[in-house]
Amino acid sequence: MNDFSKMWQTALIEIETAVSQANFSTWFKETAIIKEQDGTVYLGVPNSFTQEWLQKKFHNAILRILRQMDERVRALEYVITKEEAGNPQAKKVSAPTPTMAIPLQDFYISKEDNLNPRYTFETFIVGPFNELAHAASQTVVKTPGQTYNPLFIYGETGRGKTHLIQAVGNRIKALYPNKKVFYLTSERFGNELLTALQEGKAQQFKDKYRGYDVLIMDDVQFFSGKEKFQEEFFHLFNLFRDSGRQLVFSSDKHPNTLPGLEERLRGRFNAGMVLDIPEPDHESRMYIVRAKCAAYNITLSPEAVDFISSAIKDNIREIEGVVNIIACQSQFKSRELNLNEIRNILKNNTKPKKLLSVKEVVKVVSDFYNLSEDTIYNKTRRKEVVRPRQVVMYLLREDFNVSFPSIGEKLGGRDHTTVIHSYNKVKEEIKEDTLLSQEINQIRSML
Amino acid sequence: MKCEISLEKLKQAVTLTEKTAGKKTSLPVLSCILIEINKKTAIFKSTNLDVGIEVEIPVKTNEEGIFAVPAHTLSLFLSQVENREQIVSLDSVSGNLNIVVGKSKGVIKTLPPEDFPAIPVVTDGQTAEIPTDKLVKGLKAVGYSAAVSNVKPELGSIYIYHEADTTVLAATDSFRLAEKKIILPKTAVFEDLLIPFKNSLEIARVLESVGANALMKANKNLVSFEVGGVRITSRIINGVFPDYKQIIPKSFLTEAVVLKQDLINALKVGTVFSDSFNQVRLSIDPKKKVFAIDTKNADVGENHSEIDAAITGEEVEVSFNAKYISDSFQSIEADSLSLQFNGRNKPMVIRPVSGDQTFMYLVMPMNR
Repeated sequence: MNDFSKMWQTALIEIETAVSQANFSTWFKETAIIKEQDGTVYLGVPNSFTQEWLQKKFHNAILRILRQMDERVRALEYVITKEEAGNPQAKKVSAPTPTMAIPLQDFYISKEDNLNPRYTFETFIVGPFNELAHAASQTVVKTPGQTYNPLFIYGETGRGKTHLIQAVGNRIKALYPNKKVFYLTSERFGNELLTALQEGKAQQFKDKYRGYDVLIMDDVQFFSGKEKFQEEFFHLFNLFRDSGRQLVFSSDKHPNTLPGLEERLRGRFNAGMVLDIPEPDHESRMYIVRAKCAAYNITLSPEAVDFISSAIKDNIREIEGVVNIIACQSQFKSRELNLNEIRNILKNNTKPKKLLSVKEVVKVVSDFYNLSEDTIYNKTRRKEVVRPRQVVMYLLREDFNVSFPSIGEKLGGRDHTTVIHSYNKVKEEIKEDTLLSQEINQIRSML
Repeated sequence: MKCEISLEKLKQAVTLTEKTAGKKTSLPVLSCILIEINKKTAIFKSTNLDVGIEVEIPVKTNEEGIFAVPAHTLSLFLSQVENREQIVSLDSVSGNLNIVVGKSKGVIKTLPPEDFPAIPVVTDGQTAEIPTDKLVKGLKAVGYSAAVSNVKPELGSIYIYHEADTTVLAATDSFRLAEKKIILPKTAVFEDLLIPFKNSLEIARVLESVGANALMKANKNLVSFEVGGVRITSRIINGVFPDYKQIIPKSFLTEAVVLKQDLINALKVGTVFSDSFNQVRLSIDPKKKVFAIDTKNADVGENHSEIDAAITGEEVEVSFNAKYISDSFQSIEADSLSLQFNGRNKPMVIRPVSGDQTFMYLVMPMNR
């Protein structure tokens, strides 16, 4: 690098004597040699106007001078160097305005990698519920493409999947400036592929994605049932894995329970590290509430923190939303909100539970297990019917708070003790049987 | 070199190119208009190395030639000569340009044309056909919000991108932000662009005077617009515009709907007494139904004005730079405005109240 600048300085002295002072200061002032490769010298110029003019007027002269200094030089190319950040001392004169500035620095999403700079490990709250996912992400950052490839993070919406996988991207970018990182959602991948196919630019599409070192794809559940996307993606996937480049995915479900996913893709998702971000535990939720409050510079009573974290169980985004509203209102009222007011905010701003009839629940469950609805109501004790029936009872009790006797009555006149037994049985079993708990979660998402 | 040219066409070509010619440049030839006389046409060129303009007009040529004539002198001369004559004759004699308009003859000293730089041509990249009136309207609606300094080139630019079926233009100097949506025909689809604000003024000026549809070409470094023998080429910024959507509040605690003219008047009166920062305090009280504007300057005095407003939501009191507010009025054609607040230290959003929801303006408050 030093060599280049010395070389160019010497060349400039020679050029200066050959052209007029005005020409020299207009065209050569902001030029520099960027690099040299196989005998081609790349000259950085400030803009296309300069490029055009140097090429037209001075190309041969510059090349000749460079060749005199180093005979290996064979060709000269021009590169437009990125806009320098101006001349800071020249324009700092504007009066200091007391108007607050928009914190724009947080909102630069680079087109090159699509990552949001706000999603970093520093702002990621680690609790017992997500420490495994966090640790795996850290490992990926340390040895990209080697240890856990692909890294597959799944969990329900609002648990911080996007934050975590983007943090991986941002950290890799910071640690390895040479690695090209790219973040996108599977939906966008699909849309781009579609456009590329329509415009006959499939090859460009492939080349674009093959050029990345780390690919982070959010919400892969959108691939469900889209075979063409899956096929294209499958090839990309293999290329990445085979060449030791890192892949990171997020989804709302485990690859095994993602519907409409090709077997070979499912297998490949499973080949790396598949991790769940489960429901945050109470302590973690309390910690999140406090952290968000601190970010907004408000304080809440321990009771209020406890209340919020027990009222919103599964969605961190909702917690953020509620704290945001509390911050807004307490700022407006210039005082702390009391518990009652917070209770009201929560009531108005959390998702209301959907109301479903018993019949609908039965239908969803029987469809899921490929049974006819009637069998659930029947007296049959065939094994393949008993389990779904128990699941129905469990869901009705657990999610919809239906009383045991009325569940029994609705499901073909069973005794309430039968229902209690089924409920407890399922409740115990999902603790050990991950397949069952996944099934139930999937059913829940269909309700 | 010798040719005859229509005075009207000559004037038009000189007016278009004169403004872009450099004023104080290190290279004297940059303050010239380069005139290339070909067989049937004359091409007028000027550039400040940031923007370049080329205008082609028909001429009756006796002899081809090329010369660089100081833009200011030529333009001044043409603006003063009488308009009665239809045809002007141009003739270059030993380094001078002789212009004969009727009975008036000007002899202008020229510069060697060899030093005049070539204006780059966009040959690769994307093309799109764009209705100039809509683009100009969009550029003008947001341009004033761009940063004057070039410390951050992307903030000194107008950002143009597509969102669903609309084309969005946005600019911000980080104290306020303007966003305008325009609907362009389906043929006018192009990738995101960052056009330097200063160049956007040139583009708007040129496109406005030529009208109709322009053919836009853009590559990584340049954008050009061609319409009816006129081509303007500008450098574009190779950078990233902040994802400003996240800053725009999705809801508000207080809304006041006022007549635009009322607010303009009250701000004008207010600024008589405002301090060096143009500080105005807006106090909105929904219970008393009062929208008040206060200014105070320890050396001058103070002012309190109230204007009629339809107010909903909570009470709010917040201060702004009056200039930042009034800047937005030029982009709002509607008679009434909606001012939306989210409490102290939070930005205010101004939108027109009417069917036109294509304009949005955000102002940051003052620290107190």
